[in-house]
Amino acid sequence: MKLWMFAVLALAATAELAPKRQQREGGRPGVNNTLTAIPGIKVGHHTLTERPTGCTVVLIEGGATASVDVRGAAPATRDTDLLNPAKMVEQIQGIALSGGSIFGLSTADGVLKYLEEKNVGIAYGRRRIPIVPGASIFDLGVGDASVRPTADCGYRAAQAATDAAVVEGSVGAGTGATLGKLGGMERAMKSGVGSAAIVMPDGVIIAALVVVNPVGDVIDPATGKIVAGVRAEGRPGFADARVMMRSGVPRVNRGDNSTIGVIATNATLTKAQASYLAQMTDDGYARAIWPIHTMVDGDTVFAIATGGKPGAPDMMTIGALAADVMATAVVRAATQATGLPNLPAVRDLK
Amino acid sequence: MKRYALSLVCAACLSTDGVAGLKPCTTCESDGGLRSTSNVVQAFRPATAGAQSDNSSNTTLTAVDGIKVGSFTLPGGTTGCTVILVDGEGVPGGVSQRGGAPGTRETDLLNPLNMVDKVNAVVLSGGSAFGLDSATGTVKWLEEHHIGWDVRVTRVPIVPAAILFDLPIGNNARNHPGPDCGYQAVESATTAPVTMGTVGAGAGATVGKMGGAGTSMKGGLGSAALRMPNGLVVAAIVAVNAAGDILDPDTGKVIAGARKADGTFADARTLLRSGALAQRRAQTPRAVENTTIGLVATNAKLTKAEVSRMALMGDDGYARAIFPSHTMGDGDTVFSLATGKWDGQADVSLIGALAADAMARALVQAVTQATGLPNIPAVRDLKK
Repeated sequence: MKLWMFAVLALAATAELAPKRQQREGGRPGVNNTLTAIPGIKVGHHTLTERPTGCTVVLIEGGATASVDVRGAAPATRDTDLLNPAKMVEQIQGIALSGGSIFGLSTADGVLKYLEEKNVGIAYGRRRIPIVPGASIFDLGVGDASVRPTADCGYRAAQAATDAAVVEGSVGAGTGATLGKLGGMERAMKSGVGSAAIVMPDGVIIAALVVVNPVGDVIDPATGKIVAGVRAEGRPGFADARVMMRSGVPRVNRGDNSTIGVIATNATLTKAQASYLAQMTDDGYARAIWPIHTMVDGDTVFAIATGGKPGAPDMMTIGALAADVMATAVVRAATQATGLPNLPAVRDLK
Repeated sequence: MKRYALSLVCAACLSTDGVAGLKPCTTCESDGGLRSTSNVVQAFRPATAGAQSDNSSNTTLTAVDGIKVGSFTLPGGTTGCTVILVDGEGVPGGVSQRGGAPGTRETDLLNPLNMVDKVNAVVLSGGSAFGLDSATGTVKWLEEHHIGWDVRVTRVPIVPAAILFDLPIGNNARNHPGPDCGYQAVESATTAPVTMGTVGAGAGATVGKMGGAGTSMKGGLGSAALRMPNGLVVAAIVAVNAAGDILDPDTGKVIAGARKADGTFADARTLLRSGALAQRRAQTPRAVENTTIGLVATNAKLTKAEVSRMALMGDDGYARAIFPSHTMGDGDTVFSLATGKWDGQADVSLIGALAADAMARALVQAVTQATGLPNIPAVRDLKK
C-alpha cells in the first residue's frame, strides 16, 4: 500500500514537472528530442518524497557498446574501470545516475536486480550478469542528508523506464541538483535533468542526458551569457563566477557538486570509439559550465552506442555534435528546473 | 582612482578584448553590477607594488616569473618552433593530451605516477612528426648550460615536446624544423612579451579546415596572461592549427574559420549539422591534418598532481574557443608548468579555471595577431 502511494506521488510529481517541449537545434515540434529518440534506449526516473533526491536509470536491454570519461576531480562512480577499452566487457545494459553522493551508488543494485529478473545481461552459464555502471551527484546539502536513493530507487526507476520523451527538470537524479555554488548555497540556484537530441540527414542520432550539479554557472555557449548561476547580492541578476573567481572572493573548497551525463548514438562504434566519444562530449561541459572539472566536481560522461545504424561512423561529425548536444542538454537542465524554497530556478527569476 | 578601479574590473572580466587591449571592453559594463559589488571592486585594487611592477604590462606567457619564450621561424617563413624555457633547475610540469592524432615526446614522464617532477623546457614545433627533432636542439643547448635532471655523470635535460601538422603549407613538406630550430629558439628565449602571430610554431598554422580546399584561414601563435590582485599569475601560449573554427567564448561568434564563396563564415557548427561534411568526407576520404599545441603556466607552487589538473582544466580553453576541438584529426595537447616563484596560497580549482580562460584568450590572440599567407587570409585581411 505504502509503495503504491510512493508511485502515485512520484507520478504526480513528474506529471506536474513535465516541461512544455520546445523546438531547438535539430528538433521538430512533437518529435522526441531527448535521449530516448534513439531506438532501444529507455529512461526512467524515481523521485523520493522524503527529501529532494532520486535516481535516473538508462536501460539498453539489447546492450550497447560503452565507455566513459571521468574528468572531474571528485567523482563518485562504479564499474567505470570495465569501460576502459583495454578491458574485456564490451557492452552494458544500463546506467544508474543518482543523488545521494557515494551512498546513492547502491541504486545500481536495484537496476541489476530488475535486469536479472528480465534475464538481461552477459551470459554466464544459465545466468545473466547485467552490466550497469553508475555515477552519483552530491546533493546531501539539500534537505535531510540521511535520506538517500537506494537499490529500491534504482529498481523503481528501471520499472518506470520507457521510450517516451525524457521528463526533464527537477526529477529523478536531478531532484536535488543545484548550480552556481561559488557564493554558497544561499546564492545558488536549482538545477535538474536536461536532455537533447540531434537527428542527422543520414539517420544518425546523437542524444544526451545530463544531471547538472556543478559548483559553477551554466552558460549558453551560443551567446556567452549566463543562463543560471550565483545570484548577485542585493540586486537582481548574476554575480558571474568568472568575475568572482578573479576577484579572489570565493574559496572553492566544498565537494557539493558533480555533473553526470550520458551521450548516446545509434551509430555502430567500437569500444575505443565510444571512449573517444565520451571525451569529445566532455567539451560540452566545458562550453556550458564555468568553471568545470574543478577539484570539487566529479564530472563524468558515459558514452553508449546501440549500433542500430550499421556502417563506418563519421567520428568527426558524431564527436563534434555530441559536445554540442550535451551543451544544449546542460542549458535545458537549468531552464527546465523547478525551484525549492531559497533555491530559485531560472523560471522563478522572471 | 575610481577610473583606475574600473579599468581593473574590465581587465578582469571575461571579455576577450579587455586584457588583450584590442578594443575597449564592453562586457562588464553591459552586465552592470560589477562595480556595485563592493568586495569585487575592493579586490580589484591595484596589486601591491613590488617585484613584478616592471613586468606589469606584459599580457603574455612571460608575465609568469621564471619563464622565458623564444621562437625561431625557418627561412621562407612558413614553419618553425617555439621554446618555453624554465629558469633554474626545472619546475613541476603536466600534460593533457586529448586530440586523436598527437605527435609528442616525453609526455609519459609527465604522468604524476612517474618519477621525474622537474621540466626544464617545452618545445612546440611545426613539421609534423619530423618536427619533434626540434627538441633535440633544445636538449643540446640545455646540456651545454649544465641544466637538467642530475644523474651524476651528466645532466639530462627534461624537454617534453609536441608538434602540429603544417606540411601542406609553403615548402614545409621538405623543410622541417630540426635541432637547429630548437637550438636557435631556446638561445633567443627572453622574458620580453611573446611575439605573436605568424611566427615560430605558429608560422605554418591554419584554422577552419572543415569547408574544403581554399576556405581555411591563417592560425598562428597566441599568448595571454591573467593577473590576480594577490599576485597570482596564470598565462597561456598556443600554436593553433585546428580543423575547427575559432570562436570568441564571450559571444559565441566565429572569429576565424572556414569561409563560404561570398567570404562570410560557413560556421563549422552549421556545416556539421547539415551532413555536408560527412558526405564530402565519404567521397574523398582523407585524414584531416591539424593539431593545436599549447602550454599554461602559473607562478604558484603546485605539486605534480596539481599541475596535471591545471593542464586538464586548461584544455577546457580549447573546448570553449575552438569548434570542434579534440577531433580525431587534431592532436590537441596542453602542457602545464608551475614555477613556484609566488608563495601565496591559491587552490588548483581557481588556477585551472583561470588557465582555461587564459588559453581561450590566447587562442583568440593567435588568430587576430596572425598575418596571412598567399591564399590563406588572416583575420586582419578580412574586410570589416
